[in-house]
Amino acid sequence: MIFFKTAKQFIRMQQNNSLDKLKIGEIVKIHSIQTSDIPAKFYELGFYPGSVIEIKHKAPFDGPICVNILENNSLIAVRVSEAKLIITEII
Amino acid sequence: MKNQNIVLVGNPNVGKTSLFNRLTKLNQKVGNYPGITVEKREGSLNANGKTYHIIDLPGTYTLFPNSLDEEIVFKILSEKENKHYPDLAIVVAEPASINRSVILYQQIRELGVPAVFVINMMDELGSKGIQIDFDQLEFYLKTKVYKTNARSGKGLDKLIADLELIPPPFFSTFNINNVYWDAMEEAKKVFPLATEYLTWQYLAQEEVSHLDNDKKQALEKIRTKYNLNISEMQKAESLARHDTVNKAMEAIIIKSQNKNLNTTSKIDRLLLHPVLGYIIFYGLLFLIFQAIFSWSGPFMDWIDNSFATLTAYLANIIPEGPLASLFIEGIVAGIGGIVIFIPQIVILFLFISLMEESGYMSRVVFLMDRWLKPFGLNGKSVIPLMSGAACAIPAVMAARNIENPKERLLTMLVTPFMTCSARLPIYIVIIGLIIPDQSFFGINLQGITLFLLYLLGIFGALGSALILNKIIKSVRSSYLIFELPTYKFPDWKNVLTNVWDKASGFLFEAGKIILMISIVLWVLGNFGPTRDFYNAENIVVENNPTLPEEELSQVVASYQLEHSFLGYIGMGIEPLVRPLGYDWKMGIGLIASFAAREVFVGTMAVVYSLGGDIDIEDDGQKRTLLTRMNAEINNNTGKPAYNFASGISLLLFYAFAMQCMATIGVVRKETGSWKWTLIQTLFMTGLAYVAALIAYQILK
Repeated sequence: MIFFKTAKQFIRMQQNNSLDKLKIGEIVKIHSIQTSDIPAKFYELGFYPGSVIEIKHKAPFDGPICVNILENNSLIAVRVSEAKLIITEII
Repeated sequence: MKNQNIVLVGNPNVGKTSLFNRLTKLNQKVGNYPGITVEKREGSLNANGKTYHIIDLPGTYTLFPNSLDEEIVFKILSEKENKHYPDLAIVVAEPASINRSVILYQQIRELGVPAVFVINMMDELGSKGIQIDFDQLEFYLKTKVYKTNARSGKGLDKLIADLELIPPPFFSTFNINNVYWDAMEEAKKVFPLATEYLTWQYLAQEEVSHLDNDKKQALEKIRTKYNLNISEMQKAESLARHDTVNKAMEAIIIKSQNKNLNTTSKIDRLLLHPVLGYIIFYGLLFLIFQAIFSWSGPFMDWIDNSFATLTAYLANIIPEGPLASLFIEGIVAGIGGIVIFIPQIVILFLFISLMEESGYMSRVVFLMDRWLKPFGLNGKSVIPLMSGAACAIPAVMAARNIENPKERLLTMLVTPFMTCSARLPIYIVIIGLIIPDQSFFGINLQGITLFLLYLLGIFGALGSALILNKIIKSVRSSYLIFELPTYKFPDWKNVLTNVWDKASGFLFEAGKIILMISIVLWVLGNFGPTRDFYNAENIVVENNPTLPEEELSQVVASYQLEHSFLGYIGMGIEPLVRPLGYDWKMGIGLIASFAAREVFVGTMAVVYSLGGDIDIEDDGQKRTLLTRMNAEINNNTGKPAYNFASGISLLLFYAFAMQCMATIGVVRKETGSWKWTLIQTLFMTGLAYVAALIAYQILK
């Protein structure tokens, strides 16, 4: 049983992508944020663990990524550099 | 009197400003908070037999400040001694993001400020697919909840009539992680009179500027002792609140499909398209430029003519003398020189506020951030840089909403490189002198030169940003997070008040400085250290006895300028400008244009005895000036003063040099530092000098 549990965790880990890797239209849940350097403003605008988001737009050449924070139905954009630190999980 | 001071607080894009305009019936004024350059919008409302003082606080998502604007929100809501400390806060929300506003509301209540809750944009409730149980919401918030539509004015009467009511007490809903309890206990001893939540805010903020040093140090000691991480504390609060509020709201707000977001998505698919999005943006930029240059033309001509008529009229009715001359040529002409920029500033801010009001501006930030980041700027720098193409003064002011201090500073430092409209007359005159009016493969050479000069301004700005980015140390790490609001039709009242605020701000604030400089310049140009200046007429007549009457006065004026303080300064700096290919007469023009670039053309006209009122738009007058300047010989080289080499050198000098006292004044005000203002002035002027020197030495 313990093995099974870890295997399941293992599979889940594989599905955890950072925000910048996702494609437009994907709906995911924020799993964790990898650094404490991210300002609290990210949390306040809806980038906190547990929040459900949809990728809406991506500016070309690794420009900002715009997501819909489903809880508020608000469009928030962040840079790729910060998106890399936001880990998401498939729901 | 109770409920005298009222503040409006809310997230950005909830229609707070529209509500403010409605409540005050535009009976408002815009100024600055003392000591900092955050726009302060205050107004008054006469109702219930008294006058309320209302402040529209800058939009914020939370009480933890991320920018200067947000610092002022916390200061006003927390500083009891502040004369604006509110008796009542009106927390403004919009249907889609009520949760976020509830968090802000709770924070405000827990600081100890009584508050009511307003749900604005009630007309969008249906299209956003939202149902709200208002009784439940009132119960949960322990205050009145008002439904308004600030655009139509619906629901406002009820809100106004209830302003005298005092909201019932509010007890905290916020449970903080026990790791912070000990630290809080200690902090409470430092602030025995503050609410617990206010103490927590003090503890969890980087620096609360309005606290005295003892308190700041005491807080810092506690933070060190308990190894507190401010960002972690703020996040802990955010998480705790999100959690409780989201749970509570599930029962109060029912959401189905948001149709507004669908419309916004459709528009965004076009406006944020990787290719089309940029084409549309550049098209819009082109339109704005076109508007600034061509639409403003007739208005500027009209202002110019009116002032010319006014000066002529005044010259007729006021008896001649130095005071009359000061009044007419110094003050009235000085005011004319300020007012002439109003049409361009109005058009620019009309576009900017339309872009902001409609929600397009954040799309521009989205599209441009990638391209500005490498230069140490951020997407929000687009607005100042764009505005800089009209006038650096409002442009530098537009940098206020950039959160990161370094990026804001960089933006303000490089914005004056952009080709502002004051450079245009000089460019036109000099290009007219040195570039042939011919076509090359169907492209007009003069036109392409002008275009290249605009590009040079952009390169100057971005290039220096690149250099300064390496030099300036960053206090905070760079990040960018911003909301893209749903598209809306602009509220005309907001647009017009914004344009009026910006135009009048320029007129009165920058106007003061420009006027002062014009007067100083007038004094320097109208007085001289020697008797040559005052006996100019006799000397000229003696030397040229045959001179016809009408030419005489102009030659006298020219002779006077030569022997005025300004003339001597011009001669004084000649050794400095000789390597750039200029003579002392051009030196006078340079000195004069340190006040404002556009002074150059007028000054050169006086130097070349044509009378000061040269209208560069008038072809005949322009040709006279050009002919005269073409014939001018540089005494140092014996060659024409305006040859290709010295002309290019002049163009480069004007492209780069910081020659605008008003901009210097605004930068000083906005950066709050003479150091950066001086660095900027020296950097720009130094760069101008080196560029002009190299160009002249190569081309001569």
